[in-house]
Amino acid sequence: MTAQLERVEPAVVRRPEAPAPARPRRRLGVSPTVVVLALVTVVSAFPLYFMVVMASRPNGDITSVPPPLTPGGDLWTNLDRVLSNADVGFGRAVVNSLLVSGVATVCVVLFSCLAGFAFAKLRFVGRQPLLGFVLLTMMVPVQLGLIPLYMLMTKLHLVGTLPAVTLPFVVSGFGVFLMRQFVVQAVPDELLEAARLDGASILQTFWYVVLPVLRPAAAVLALLTFMERWNDFLWPYLVLDLDHPTVQTALSRLAGGYYTDQALVMAGTLLGVLPLLVVFLLFGRQIVGGIMEGGIKS
Amino acid sequence: MTSDRPRRPARTAAVLGLILTSAAAFAGCGGAEGADGGGDTTLRVAIFGDFGYEKLYDQFEAEHPGVTIVETSEGDLGKYNTALTQKIAAGSAPGDVVAIEEGQVVNFLASADKFVNFQDHGSNDRKDQWLPWKYEQATTADGSDTIGLGTDVGGMAMCYRRDLFEKAGLPTDRTEVGALWPTWEEFTKVGEQFQDGIGSDDVHFIDSATNTYNSILMQSADETYFDPDGELVIDSNPAVKEAWDTALGMSEAGISARLKSFSTEWTAGFKSGSFATVACPAWMTNNIKENAGPEGEGLWDITTVPGGGGNWGGSFLAVPTSSDHQDLAVELVDFLTSAEGQLGAFEATGNLPSNPTLYDTPELQQATNPYFNDAPTGQLFVAGARNLQPVYLGAKNQPVRDAVENAMRSVENGDTSPGDGWDAAVEDAEKAAG
Amino acid sequence: MTTATAPPGRAGRTAGPARRGPRAGARGTRGEQVAGYAFISPFFLVFAVFGLFPLLFTFWVSLHDWDLLGTRSWVGLGNYSALLEDEDFWNALVNTLGIFVLSTVPQLLVALALAQLLNQRLRARTLWRMGVLLPNITSIAAVGIIFTLLFARDFGLVNWLLGHVGVDPITWQEHRWSSWLAISTMVDWRWTGYNALIFLAALQAVPRELYEAAQIDGASAVSQFRHITVPMLRPTIVFATLVATIGGIQLFTEPLLFNSGANAITGGTTRQFQTLTMYLYEQAFTGQEFGYASTVAWMMFLVILVVAVANALLLRRLRGVG
Repeated sequence: MTAQLERVEPAVVRRPEAPAPARPRRRLGVSPTVVVLALVTVVSAFPLYFMVVMASRPNGDITSVPPPLTPGGDLWTNLDRVLSNADVGFGRAVVNSLLVSGVATVCVVLFSCLAGFAFAKLRFVGRQPLLGFVLLTMMVPVQLGLIPLYMLMTKLHLVGTLPAVTLPFVVSGFGVFLMRQFVVQAVPDELLEAARLDGASILQTFWYVVLPVLRPAAAVLALLTFMERWNDFLWPYLVLDLDHPTVQTALSRLAGGYYTDQALVMAGTLLGVLPLLVVFLLFGRQIVGGIMEGGIKS
Repeated sequence: MTSDRPRRPARTAAVLGLILTSAAAFAGCGGAEGADGGGDTTLRVAIFGDFGYEKLYDQFEAEHPGVTIVETSEGDLGKYNTALTQKIAAGSAPGDVVAIEEGQVVNFLASADKFVNFQDHGSNDRKDQWLPWKYEQATTADGSDTIGLGTDVGGMAMCYRRDLFEKAGLPTDRTEVGALWPTWEEFTKVGEQFQDGIGSDDVHFIDSATNTYNSILMQSADETYFDPDGELVIDSNPAVKEAWDTALGMSEAGISARLKSFSTEWTAGFKSGSFATVACPAWMTNNIKENAGPEGEGLWDITTVPGGGGNWGGSFLAVPTSSDHQDLAVELVDFLTSAEGQLGAFEATGNLPSNPTLYDTPELQQATNPYFNDAPTGQLFVAGARNLQPVYLGAKNQPVRDAVENAMRSVENGDTSPGDGWDAAVEDAEKAAG
Repeated sequence: MTTATAPPGRAGRTAGPARRGPRAGARGTRGEQVAGYAFISPFFLVFAVFGLFPLLFTFWVSLHDWDLLGTRSWVGLGNYSALLEDEDFWNALVNTLGIFVLSTVPQLLVALALAQLLNQRLRARTLWRMGVLLPNITSIAAVGIIFTLLFARDFGLVNWLLGHVGVDPITWQEHRWSSWLAISTMVDWRWTGYNALIFLAALQAVPRELYEAAQIDGASAVSQFRHITVPMLRPTIVFATLVATIGGIQLFTEPLLFNSGANAITGGTTRQFQTLTMYLYEQAFTGQEFGYASTVAWMMFLVILVVAVANALLLRRLRGVG
């Protein structure tokens, strides 16, 4: 520790320029961070690009050797075919998916913030065991649970309806745990103490003091939940009927027939991904902190 | 920081409230939609692949005003089978009429109570409409319950690449080619000849030993892995070991491309010409056509398979008891599997009918497939199917077959010696048979 | 280390994870108790309705010899003892743990580093941040095709590149080590960005002054990472590790995609990359053994529990360092 303090002097002397981030400044016109991120983005985005390539070429091209890397000219045709396909009912499927994913996301975020806060900061009997229970529920594989869940939905007369794919997913152990850890990390007791001294009830403290702090984590949870619900295929495939398609089940109608027109399927998938991208951009902006910057000046 | 705190939560609360209210609203109206309007009935047919029923549906709808037929098709057979199994196990079904593939029907016989018994609707009186073994396949052991009526049978032929044969110095005319290999031993010899003639490491004679193995096995005996009492006889049934040895002999002779059926590389192999022959049942002609693409037209041809005949695949249509329109669904199935229906399907997709009375009709005898060089597909596949003896499969056929195929692939890839591979096959088969 | 870098205003709190605070250990007030139960009740209510029954049912099924479409008979814990002697189960366990270690450790480290990069004040920040999530929205089918094409024996990109450095074409699906490597690559590609975003959110709660103060002190980027980022993010690291553990041991989609074609569920000809969930699926839907498959599910639960506890102990020791 003392060694560190001693180092301050020469460090200050040796750094004449402005307190910029400790990265080489604009030597090549672009910082290494950007280079790395660009690389990461290319690697992440390549398969999506390949989807565009596949969607814009005739079906057989995909298995050519070597595989094609540039888009062909059929993209708009294929997109149009998907949208005008009556079996798919894409428009209605999008609306349904938005409803299902939207409701699930709002509920998950809200309930996870509530529970996460409670597990992190409120002291009640059995808190640790209950938290442990939440974690345990995340650990059992769910593939076989689809069958009893289906039986349950039959009893509740919900088979084939949208609530069947929404209600089981309005809470999430993942979300509760995520928010709990974030609250532990980001909400200092002093903040709660200050609110209490100001006369706020627990609910008010939660709503006005804690929730704003949770914004980055809540945004990420919202994003991930929405994405997961949007992409869910197995359960909706099992339980929904033809009158209540989601985007994923609707798209699976494209893959019928003896051979799959992969190009058409890719075009459909691209369409299905667009609303997600919009949601990404909307929520992506929310992943900023800053509220707690500076901490509590005591 | 303090200024925007009251604003944001109020707006958030409003948005949340709106969403939760609409959530409650749509939750409430969940079951209202989907009811049939007035006297109209919708029949849902769930199939895999393409059964060629479009025109037939139109005909049925015309004869039954007020009825609409909606078909859902799943391209991936594995996905279809899993979903069907899950739904039946949970007390439901993907449609009023469901397709069941040959390999799966034995499983569903175990829960025959979940399907309508066609014998209650007079199917026994029309038994001659199907090849006898086909009808038996979907009937319970005691003969009292038939859960499915046959649609098509696979039959068996050998599809080959004319251009590659020519390059290797072999004849290309289908009669001549068929005469080259009346038995599998001769087939292997032709393969070696081909390999020498083609002079390339990238092109092989057959796609894999496993495909060939299955073809040989299904020709050879009355039973394969199980005897009619349900006992596992893999090591005592000589037909199995013989088929195993013959197929692996081909691999050892270096004529196999060692690809896994239906994998991406196998699919790509049709275009890139990795293999020159592939055992093809009637339904596979569509796969080949699609995989090889328009540029492959005329390059492929079909001839008889060594050993004379065989069967791979074929399906049934069943009506689950969970359907609300059982009688109408049964009527539809009767229509689709009638001679008229099967002929219509054949004309649409080339799927070989399971109705022997159709085999001598001009439609079948004169049917040709332009993609395959106008090969007389009707005659070829009929010849194979007609001579077919029924083969008993057994309830656990699929997992046992998977185990044996895996062991064979492992030997083909050089990971295991043939002797060890056989031991592994038997061991895994015993485990899979449970 | 602790007091010199403590942020201003956080008197009494170390730069490590926040513990419960001055009233630690005491029971809460009546109001606090009521609020606590009220706040967690939505989760438990919904779970009680939709989550509990499937879990209990699966356990009930595991106590039977239950044919998926047919008969069932009680066997008590017979399935469990059979499972412990099942070679294929242990094989799947080894595969799963192997792929898990191979993929999870680099994934989390890279995710953490990536989050740090994304936390910079860059232009087009949102685009970079959303870019890392693209693997999760790319269709599974497309991912499968691409990775198969990458790792194909004859025309795969990886073999082609390796060929340039004199390596013979590898049949990636054939061997244990190569299939594990290829699958880990797939898993890392898909999930690193996901974890990076979670870490990014957590980083938002770390005040910039900490980093600025450290920079003024002359600390290097690595040092800042070790002494500020990691301790401050410890609760999130615990979270990410547990979630990655659960996801890793339940791995299913990626190895399945890697084995396109017939018999995909067996994970290779000698089950060289069959994971536990694949084995479960095979038992249930190919073998029709509902009971035995349910046993596998509950055994996996135990495995996850054991590994999770092991992780927790490991992470506890990490805190002690530095």
